[in-house]
Amino acid sequence: MLIEIENLSVTFTAQGRHVRAVENVSLSVKAKESFGLVGESGSGKSTILRAICGLAPISGGSIRINGKPITHNRAFSRKVQMVFQDPYASLHPRHTIDRTLSEPLAIHGLPLTDQAITKALTDVGLPANFRFRYPHQLSGGQRQRVAIARALMLQPEILLLDEPTSALDASVQAETLNLLSRLRQERGLTFLMVSHDLAVIDHMCDRILVMQHGRAVEELSREALATAQMTTPYARSLFAASADRMLEG
Amino acid sequence: MSTLTTWLRDPNPASRMQSRLGQSYLSWLRLRRNPLAMIGLMITAVLIFVAIFAPLLAPHDPITQELGRRLLPPGTAGNILGTDDFGRDILSRILYGSRITLYIVLLVILTAPVVGLIIGTVAGYFGGWVDTILMRITDIFLAFPKLILALALVAVLGPGMENAVLAIALTSWPPYARVSRAETLTVRNSDYIAAVKLQGAGPIRIIWGHVIPMCLPSVIIRVTLDMAGVILTAAGLGFLGLGVQPPLPEWGLMISAGRKFLFEQWWVATMPGLAIFIVSLGFNLLGDGLRDVLDPKSASK
Amino acid sequence: MSLLSVKNLRVTFDTEAGRVEAVRGVSFTLDRERLGIVGESGSGKTMTGRSVLRLIRPPGKIEADEMTFDGIDLLRASESQMRSLRGPRIAMVMQDPKYSLNPVMKVGAQLTEGLRQRDKVSKADAIAKAIDALNAVQIRDPQRVMEAYPHELSGGMGQRVMIAMMLIPNPDLLIADEPTSALDVTVQAEVLSILDNLVKTRGMGLIFISHDLRLVARFCDRVLVMYKGKVVEELAAKDLMHAKHPYTQGLLNCLPRIGGSREPLPSLDRDASWAL
Repeated sequence: MLIEIENLSVTFTAQGRHVRAVENVSLSVKAKESFGLVGESGSGKSTILRAICGLAPISGGSIRINGKPITHNRAFSRKVQMVFQDPYASLHPRHTIDRTLSEPLAIHGLPLTDQAITKALTDVGLPANFRFRYPHQLSGGQRQRVAIARALMLQPEILLLDEPTSALDASVQAETLNLLSRLRQERGLTFLMVSHDLAVIDHMCDRILVMQHGRAVEELSREALATAQMTTPYARSLFAASADRMLEG
Repeated sequence: MSTLTTWLRDPNPASRMQSRLGQSYLSWLRLRRNPLAMIGLMITAVLIFVAIFAPLLAPHDPITQELGRRLLPPGTAGNILGTDDFGRDILSRILYGSRITLYIVLLVILTAPVVGLIIGTVAGYFGGWVDTILMRITDIFLAFPKLILALALVAVLGPGMENAVLAIALTSWPPYARVSRAETLTVRNSDYIAAVKLQGAGPIRIIWGHVIPMCLPSVIIRVTLDMAGVILTAAGLGFLGLGVQPPLPEWGLMISAGRKFLFEQWWVATMPGLAIFIVSLGFNLLGDGLRDVLDPKSASK
Repeated sequence: MSLLSVKNLRVTFDTEAGRVEAVRGVSFTLDRERLGIVGESGSGKTMTGRSVLRLIRPPGKIEADEMTFDGIDLLRASESQMRSLRGPRIAMVMQDPKYSLNPVMKVGAQLTEGLRQRDKVSKADAIAKAIDALNAVQIRDPQRVMEAYPHELSGGMGQRVMIAMMLIPNPDLLIADEPTSALDVTVQAEVLSILDNLVKTRGMGLIFISHDLRLVARFCDRVLVMYKGKVVEELAAKDLMHAKHPYTQGLLNCLPRIGGSREPLPSLDRDASWAL
């Protein structure tokens, strides 16, 4: 197993009040697998990704990668990277695309060549002459491509995807999902993806964990989802609400 | 359109330099649409021009006394703005005085905002006890009225231009620290900071490369708005005899000297007063205009 | 005569980057029915909705050959006439309740404010009407919600409060701009059924603006598909899944489906002629 999460709990403390965002969630992801987390807002699905990255406080349980407990050092950032939900908020508004993509190389003291940047751009389907643009000169889909390129600069094995297409138009969503699938195939990436859209999760993932109120409700294989073989009432109601996303016929 | 402007407006710049210049050009276009800001910019430009070329522009030496021509009214041949009680040409003294004013303003700009920016971003980024300690120190400085604190400092350090600058700088950094801390708090939890943290960047790199650029516009705006205050504080110290020492032609000092004749020879105090007023107004207008251009919230539209 | 009639509506912005045409000649009529306007971001669907209320900020300009609501010429109506239309006769629900409710005022005060000031209703009557409105949007515990501040409500609850607020003056036309996009799927269904019920029982006209074709197909009677400021196709909602225009077809095809194949999703190849 590449990623093993055991009984993970995340508790936020604000002004003396404790909010348990994630309670005793366990999951494991094999190498080169694509694993999906589905749930409604407040279900704690994004918090799990943030806990893996050290952006949320872990109050219990453990996260292991390749059998070793995670430490958030530089080696970790070359193994795990994340793509955020809102492409308008995840790029520094005063940095050019060039600066945004060079930064990871500079941090890790890797050779910073023109070629590396233009290749990163063309790999995500952006023209090389976008290099010195600012984020506000790009559309939402183009920004999300830059965010994906940035996440891939350090050649990570694992990509955490936090609702990567929910802020995008349908046609742009399709292009972005296709890009992610292609990159996963070409580079043998492992995906841990969060979405509220069952159809997106079904299209992208091999196994799915349904979450509600910070707890794991049910784990489903892709086949079980397509044939509506869920056993818990919540997973069933979530499926029913997405009925218009079924394949017709 | 000339080739230069098409080069500047190119949506696909070929180099870092071109994209930066292109952005500056767009900001300039936005600033140009604001007539008040352009007036402010012109006043500032005139101040800088006058300070540089004062020896060529001034009709007389600002220090040489000519007691036979004391207290001549404005409009006298050879002394357009009149003369003071030592027979020195007021216009020449104002022109030379712009150098002192500009020198003080520049020194304060180079020190106070930098200190405030660093303290504010460090406090805001780390939070916790670092924030508590740094902000309490800031509060202590803020608790005293600016001029009183500057007076106390000059009284301890001794009068003189350098000490006046030091005193002004030491009393004017806390607002910059407050402003940049507030900006840092809004930026610190954003996704782009999370992304660079995730890439393994340390706090120094994050603060310097990612947080400070977001605070800079508000601080720059604050600086231009405060420059008027700096000039007035410097003039105030000069007026009280604690800043620049006679016979140097500092504007505050000139007002102070002219006070004795305010009712009979009004121009001695009024002319440098007008100079202070115009320059302060210029910086204020420029600051207001810059706010519209540089504010990241309005620029992102 | 129809409730709302719009002919050749144009919205243009003069900016430093040049003239931008957000809406380019949109015509439609609306009766007491549910009209959906779908399109991607930048298609001009929101601007079309806002134009009806003349809520376009300068430098934006609204032009049309005709824009009448219940016999009133909206293009020539004075600003004070427009103010008396906005709210009592034409209401608007925006995407995110967080930005539409006043954060420092209790929900009850916001709900009764209009009644008390505009209609000079007594305090007790206003509260009774507000509670009725909250009941109409199926809020179980209206007394508690009246005393709550907006930040204490969930997204679905906030959106219901918004709808309740819009419904108190009993408008003839409701413009809903992505009213459910910020909500979870299960909550979305509830809010839609509330809207649906209100259109049926009160005989309101509804303009439902959304980017979600499937939602519009399920919920509306008629649909306008917009692309780059123009209506490319108008059809009955039940026929949406069998749309003729390649743009509408492309939008439908590029959606992933549960149980669909893992092949790359078909991309939308835009034809320059669609925008002409």
